[in-house]
Amino acid sequence: MASTPLSSDSKHGGHSHIINPWVLFFNMLWLMFLLVITFIASEFDFGNVIINNVVAMLIATVKAVFVIWIFMGVMHASKLAKIWVVTGFGVLFLMFGILGDYATRQYEPVSGWETNVPNNGGSAFPREWPPQKKPEQVGENFRPRG
Amino acid sequence: MSAIPADPNVTAVSATPRTETNYLNADWSIKSWLLTGDHKRIGILYLVTVSFFFFLGSIAAGLIRYELTAPAGFILESETYNKVFSAHGIIMVFLFLIVAIPAILGNFLLPLMIGARDMAFPRLNLLSWYLFMIGGACIMGGMINGGVDSGWTFYVPYSSMYANSNVTMVLTGIFIAGFSSITTGINFIVTTHKMRAPGMTWFRLPLMVWALYATGVVIILGTPVVAVTLLCIIFERVFHLPIFSAELGGDPVLFQHLFWFYSHPAVYIMILPAFGVQSELIANFARKRVFGYHLIAFSSLAIAGLGFLVWGHHMFISSESMYQGVVFSLISFLVAIPSAIKVFNWTATLYKGNIRLQTPMIYALGFIGLFTIGGLTGLFLGCLGTDVHLTNTYFIVAHFHYVMVGGAVTAFLGGLHYWWPKMTGRLYPESIAKWNAVLVFIGFNLTFFPQFIVGFMGMPRRYHYYYFAPEFQPYHIMSTLGSTVLALSFIIPGLYLTRSLTKGAKASANPWGAHGLEWETSSPPPTSNFLQIPVVLDEVYDFDPVTEHEQDKAAQALEVPSYLSNEAKSIESEKEKR
Amino acid sequence: MAAIASDHGHGHGHDEALHHQFEDMEQQNDSYIVGMWTFLVTEVMFFGALFLIYTLYRSMYQLDFYLAHKVLDTRMGMINTFVLLFSSFTVAMSVRFAQLQNRMGVLAMLGITQICAGTFMVIKYFEYQEKFGHHLYPGPGFGSSPSYLNGASPNFAQLYFGLYFGMTGLHGLHVLIGMIVIGYLMAKWWRNSPMVTKDYIPTELVGLYWHFVDLVWIFLFPLMYLMPKP
Ligand code: HEM
Ligand SMILES: [Cu+2]
Repeated sequence: MASTPLSSDSKHGGHSHIINPWVLFFNMLWLMFLLVITFIASEFDFGNVIINNVVAMLIATVKAVFVIWIFMGVMHASKLAKIWVVTGFGVLFLMFGILGDYATRQYEPVSGWETNVPNNGGSAFPREWPPQKKPEQVGENFRPRG
Repeated sequence: MSAIPADPNVTAVSATPRTETNYLNADWSIKSWLLTGDHKRIGILYLVTVSFFFFLGSIAAGLIRYELTAPAGFILESETYNKVFSAHGIIMVFLFLIVAIPAILGNFLLPLMIGARDMAFPRLNLLSWYLFMIGGACIMGGMINGGVDSGWTFYVPYSSMYANSNVTMVLTGIFIAGFSSITTGINFIVTTHKMRAPGMTWFRLPLMVWALYATGVVIILGTPVVAVTLLCIIFERVFHLPIFSAELGGDPVLFQHLFWFYSHPAVYIMILPAFGVQSELIANFARKRVFGYHLIAFSSLAIAGLGFLVWGHHMFISSESMYQGVVFSLISFLVAIPSAIKVFNWTATLYKGNIRLQTPMIYALGFIGLFTIGGLTGLFLGCLGTDVHLTNTYFIVAHFHYVMVGGAVTAFLGGLHYWWPKMTGRLYPESIAKWNAVLVFIGFNLTFFPQFIVGFMGMPRRYHYYYFAPEFQPYHIMSTLGSTVLALSFIIPGLYLTRSLTKGAKASANPWGAHGLEWETSSPPPTSNFLQIPVVLDEVYDFDPVTEHEQDKAAQALEVPSYLSNEAKSIESEKEKR
Repeated sequence: MAAIASDHGHGHGHDEALHHQFEDMEQQNDSYIVGMWTFLVTEVMFFGALFLIYTLYRSMYQLDFYLAHKVLDTRMGMINTFVLLFSSFTVAMSVRFAQLQNRMGVLAMLGITQICAGTFMVIKYFEYQEKFGHHLYPGPGFGSSPSYLNGASPNFAQLYFGLYFGMTGLHGLHVLIGMIVIGYLMAKWWRNSPMVTKDYIPTELVGLYWHFVDLVWIFLFPLMYLMPKP
């Protein structure tokens, strides 16, 4: 506890790290390359819509990591900045826990819910056990807003 | 106090001569107040405006209470009643509780406590006050224009489809006020990280600073979520962008999820700084090192973290999945642990302390009891089975008033009295303040304890007709009676504190004999807080109850109030020790 | 608590860019960087909530969202992404030039960034205009030219376009704010203000903000424009 806070928190900072322009340039090229990959991957079918979506998001995440790490300079930033980046995305991830609600609703052992609902245009996934394929959603439940 | 140099004149900054110019009288022009970057002045600006909003919110509360004395109402129409309780909730939550302790006491104290000249971003701090004022003006504008009736929770479709357009105005106000909150949070975080005086290590920080830091974290992680959620409603109303409209397949329950993802942490925005105030008060008036410093500090962070994991306990009876309900219920019980740690540590601090029952301490002791009741009833509500019975009854109303009024407001009053000499340079009248603190306690319990009972019996919240159950009436009358007492006990401090501004005795730099950097500078502090930046050599709570006790005796022999002569004697005893 | 007056006095007057509450430039720069990152965290949460809403609705109405999204012009989206990635590079370069105190370099790079941002907004404008023309803006007239819905349910398609306009609109607003801030920064550089020339941090902060805008688009583009067939 003897160290003063100013020195413990700020190993970096004042003397900034000047980044090599070629690193920036190649990072940009690499990101553009990944962009093309994103496009190609979206045309390509990996066998399953979930996998397709996951692939798309993985590539986007890789791109994001490169933007954050190199363009935003987190590579050379203080530990504190790194902690904030991780916390921010960590809590965002936590918030996606909201989806857990929707994902588990269908397993609720509530009798009566499973009676045939022609269209689940409402708020919830169908509550069926075992979960069955969702009914076709196209073109039904049409009520234009006035 | 091991490392003090021999010469007492160099020892404490308080020993430097009282400066004649301080932050209050440095410049009297209105412009110098409205364009100030000084965190102390911004704290005072907040104090004035927030008190005004508190007054408005209290009027709404009074209307609600008087309406409820009769089973079929007698003052307000049903629609007006809805608008009044919404106004009460919105003003109290968004314009009073969320701002009160962080923006008034926090702004004023944080730089003083860590030995800094100012916040890290003074202009941002000022911007925060202006945003708050603009937000407040929008909210008040919407209310004057006819008001909203969706409650402070703005559940869709009450706020989207079945509301009038004032809702847009009020939501815009809350959105803007949210950014005021965010800027304050950013300032707290950066200031705590970067502005500490030399030697002020993390574990020497006053617990108030830990609490404010945790509050800042909650603010910046939670507030944007509610901002964008409310923005979605604005989008829906103004630009026809459907986001939560059930008739198009949108999900109103999603709104509740997102709203509570912020609003549960928001209750910790209200209570965490109160915990901080509480730790300061207890340590100082028990004249004892706070018990379990590290535990209190880390429990603040634990609350900030766990607070983000329990939002679903407000939605047990919405269509939330049962499985998630179970998880949220479990985590809600976990949240009680860090809160309980704090309560136990405060009581342990009292043990063998040299307790001085002055006004702030009376508030602090009241806080412990009231917060404990509030927190424990929270556990009833966090329990899946009982919540089905208790939700949307007056039991909930009682629960959150015990934590928000019994907790946050009590701590705010205690803190205001404690730091009043520092903020204004004047002492408030001790005896009347002491009795008033007791009055707050009595009035509060009289108001809200009957609500537990009547809620348990089944009185729904947000209803103003209960002719179906006339047996509720005695409880409502009791509650209204209590609220009158409570109102009185809020008016009295308003009067005597205002009066003390001109008539009160001048305060010395450290009227309580308290420890902490804010007491080392003059009262009121100079504009730059410290004539020279202090170097911290020891932790804040190095009270020694035994010597304190002897000092008290000596003071009695001298027939001088101990808190006045304390300062001089502590220097003497220092000399003796050496 | 023991406290003595510290020996080293204020850092006043040493540096034109130093504010009074700080001791030295290092403390000030660190504070600004930490402050900016905390602000960006709030921005992450801000857009994060929208992404959450989008994820939920898209998983609920996959087919309709897929059909509705076909109206979007992927080519335009691609070009916009390239433009933003390139502008991220130029902004990063401008920070580098600011560190080297190369005034013309900074101005040139920021100028290119402004042009990129303008291009982005113009392309977005044409995209929006097309959607409006096809009655794809949610509200009373939505879907009055049903052929553009590609068979998607008008209700769920409205949800999709609500989110499309909401999210890209907010993103566009951020681009616009970015343009204003960059313009302000350029003016400062142009006038040789010591606030920016003596201290690269203002440029760095604007750069961080701009990268964040890019970051949001990196996720928006595949989510909105490149949906796999369910
Ligand atoms: C000890 C931990 C706590 C637990 C386990 C807890 C639990 C709960 C639960 C389960 C509810 C929802 C009841 C329902 O709607 O059915 C609730 C409501 C509420 N709690 Fe707490 N609580 C705690 C502490 C606090 C604190 C410290 C505050 C404020 C400072 C607070 C403020 C509120 C508010 C404002 C509501 C009502 C929201 C509304 O519906 O308008 N709670 N609490
Ligand atoms: Cu809660």
